[in-house]
Amino acid sequence: MIVVENLVKRFGKFTAVDGVSINVEPGQIHGFLGPNGAGKTTSIRMIAGLLKPDHGRILVNGHDLAREPEAAKAALGFIPDRPFIYDKLTAGEFLRFHGGLYGMDGGDTEARITEMLEIFELGRWQHELVESFSHGMKQRLVMCAAFLHRPKAVLVDEPMVGLDPRGARLIKDIFRLMASRGVAILMSTHTLEVAQEMCDLISIILKGQIIAHGSVADVRNMAGTPNEELTPVFLKLTGGGALQEIDEIV
Amino acid sequence: MAVTLASVVRPFPYLLLPTWWASRNRARRREKGDLVRGLLFGGIAVVVIGALFAGSFWVTWQAAGYDELGDYLVRIGLSWLFLTFLSFLAFSAVVASLSTFFLSDDLRLILVAPVAARRVFFARFARTLAQSGWMVVVFLAPVLAGIGFAKCAPWTFVLTVIATIVPFVVIPVALGSAVTLLLVNVFPARRARDILMFMGLVFATSIVLLLRFLQPERLMRVESMPEVTSFFATLQSPITPLLPSFWAGEALFAGVQGGSDWMHIGALWTTAAAMVVMVGAAFERWHFTGFSKSQEARKARFAQFHALDVFARILPLSPVRRHLLVKDMKVFLRDVSQWSQLLLLVALMLVYLYNFSVLDLDRLPYMSGVVKNLYAFLNLAMAAFVMSTVAVRFVFPAVSAEGAAFWIIRSAPISLRDFLWSKFWTGLVPVLLLTEVLIVAGNELLGVDPFLKRLSAVAIVFMAFALVGLATGLGARYPRFAADNPSQVAGSYGGVAFMIVAVLFILVMIGLLGWPSSVYLFSQVRRRPLTDFQQVMFYACFATAAALSIATWLLGMRTGVRALEAMDRTPA
Repeated sequence: MIVVENLVKRFGKFTAVDGVSINVEPGQIHGFLGPNGAGKTTSIRMIAGLLKPDHGRILVNGHDLAREPEAAKAALGFIPDRPFIYDKLTAGEFLRFHGGLYGMDGGDTEARITEMLEIFELGRWQHELVESFSHGMKQRLVMCAAFLHRPKAVLVDEPMVGLDPRGARLIKDIFRLMASRGVAILMSTHTLEVAQEMCDLISIILKGQIIAHGSVADVRNMAGTPNEELTPVFLKLTGGGALQEIDEIV
Repeated sequence: MAVTLASVVRPFPYLLLPTWWASRNRARRREKGDLVRGLLFGGIAVVVIGALFAGSFWVTWQAAGYDELGDYLVRIGLSWLFLTFLSFLAFSAVVASLSTFFLSDDLRLILVAPVAARRVFFARFARTLAQSGWMVVVFLAPVLAGIGFAKCAPWTFVLTVIATIVPFVVIPVALGSAVTLLLVNVFPARRARDILMFMGLVFATSIVLLLRFLQPERLMRVESMPEVTSFFATLQSPITPLLPSFWAGEALFAGVQGGSDWMHIGALWTTAAAMVVMVGAAFERWHFTGFSKSQEARKARFAQFHALDVFARILPLSPVRRHLLVKDMKVFLRDVSQWSQLLLLVALMLVYLYNFSVLDLDRLPYMSGVVKNLYAFLNLAMAAFVMSTVAVRFVFPAVSAEGAAFWIIRSAPISLRDFLWSKFWTGLVPVLLLTEVLIVAGNELLGVDPFLKRLSAVAIVFMAFALVGLATGLGARYPRFAADNPSQVAGSYGGVAFMIVAVLFILVMIGLLGWPSSVYLFSQVRRRPLTDFQQVMFYACFATAAALSIATWLLGMRTGVRALEAMDRTPA
């Protein structure tokens, strides 16, 4: 559903993403892991159509993002790490506008908006201005918008930031539900427990390159630590030796 | 209800809906001070529009007395007016389109949606058009109405105005948008914005200086009437007839006389349509590349200002105040949009002082002494008004400028009193220097009485303490931490409240200083000593002025400190 082939992005002389390839099948949750500055957000933004790749190809639902951007984007939902929402719109107005961007119209739109707001526990806030929302509520509203038009693939950049445990549980359940309905989800995250708990496959990116790819068990084996939790595996693969030094300094 | 591509096609005005809904919601939920602000700005707008109407009516009416010469002047004046707007609109569109097409936050929402590039272009172009063109339309409407009334134009003139203004505004806005597209594809957008801000202010500064040094006042002299035609003739050039401003001027001149100039109106519409089509095609081709570049955060190149660190170490300040000062100075100097506005201010100051140097008061031989001394007070009032506008723009937003980083101050072991006083001293020094230079240089150029020179020089020090203290205090009392830029803070309820209080303070101060000074100067001219009562009043007025300044200063600061201490929420 989401096919990324040999993606490259350079900022001046710095190569932020260097030959990344990912394939997310329908119904699959694919975790995209890596330390800060590894190239996760840059990759996600290229797949969302916000950054132009220097090289490589992105296909969504079989449509090439560069050649048929509208067809590719119509099948995609995007949940950014720092979402923009119009502060002076109500939650309902924001979702109505967002749905309209994806061609939703008619009587069933209102029913769908109400349904999504209820799912994300925002039903009683439908007529309130977004400016009065907490960070977690805004995050959930953006998720409502991303799933509103029934996308076939969803891109998620750091989904758990700012969510309370109840909100995080809710999001995990919804993502699983959507995946069970055939939605392909590509999710970048720092929260390794989330990746371990939810993802069918994970890719670990470091300095712009994918250094490990496969199921959680595959990656553990790759690191030579088959019985470890994901955190030490991640630190081993991404150079967690610095933590040792920090410990000594502190 | 799966989304198909065919169902996604919606006309471009759909993309403008959030702006409309947001405005509607904002109007429904009024904030504190909206009414006062609305009345104040609305009142100012009505006065300005009325003055523009009256001015253009009067000039056209006067010109009508010169038959053909008058018609020529109206015609050439229209062409010149539109030429000025043409350049203003093009430049304004460059700046506005940088934001609407490349930097606006909601683009991240729109561009991930399946919206055709052409429809994004039309929606964004409409926004750019509205942002760049509204002021010109508001300005032109009363001017053209004044001309129409003075020339007793038929009602069809209204149609001619609409048919002329619409394409006239579209052409430079399309051109400006194209320039932005080119710039953003060459430079990163944020760097391009800095370059534009700087260029814009140099442009505005040059216009101000140029207009002043053309000495338009010489046209007001009766003996120089023949110079008027040659003055306007110097503004013409061989390429003028090729510019849309000339076409607009000609079309309106024909309209005001009851005729119609279809050729020039046709030229305006076809050019506008061709520009929109061509610029739209260019945007379709290169907008995403430019937008993508605008997302790239390159390593910032910036001045280190080591000298500032060294200078701050010399000052007798506590480490906390020193670090606050250095931080404020560096943040200010690294933000081009901040310091570049000072350029315009300096240009206006130069023009202001130049006016005094060319003031020909010797044409009034018996009155020159009185008028000079009157001007000294006018100079004091003007300098104080300059000071209050500088204070509202640069000092009032000082606390708000901490923005979401204010938690650092609140969680640090610094008293809020120290924090606010640091803001006060940082603001006071440049404001005082600026206005003191204005006062001393202005009075020197005028050659006013030495007593008034000394009085003004001392008075402005008191007024600077009062106004900067008031601005700092009210800025802390009514902070806007969420504002995007200091101009928004200056235009907020607190900013308007400060300006009202500042104007009242200045008027009272001028009254308190002006009356005893005039009594003193008249006694000098008549060579009579002051009576006892006059002497008591003389000192009482000065003492009251000093007390009022000190009270305004300290009360302003105290209200600010108390407001900060009582603040129950820290922005984050």
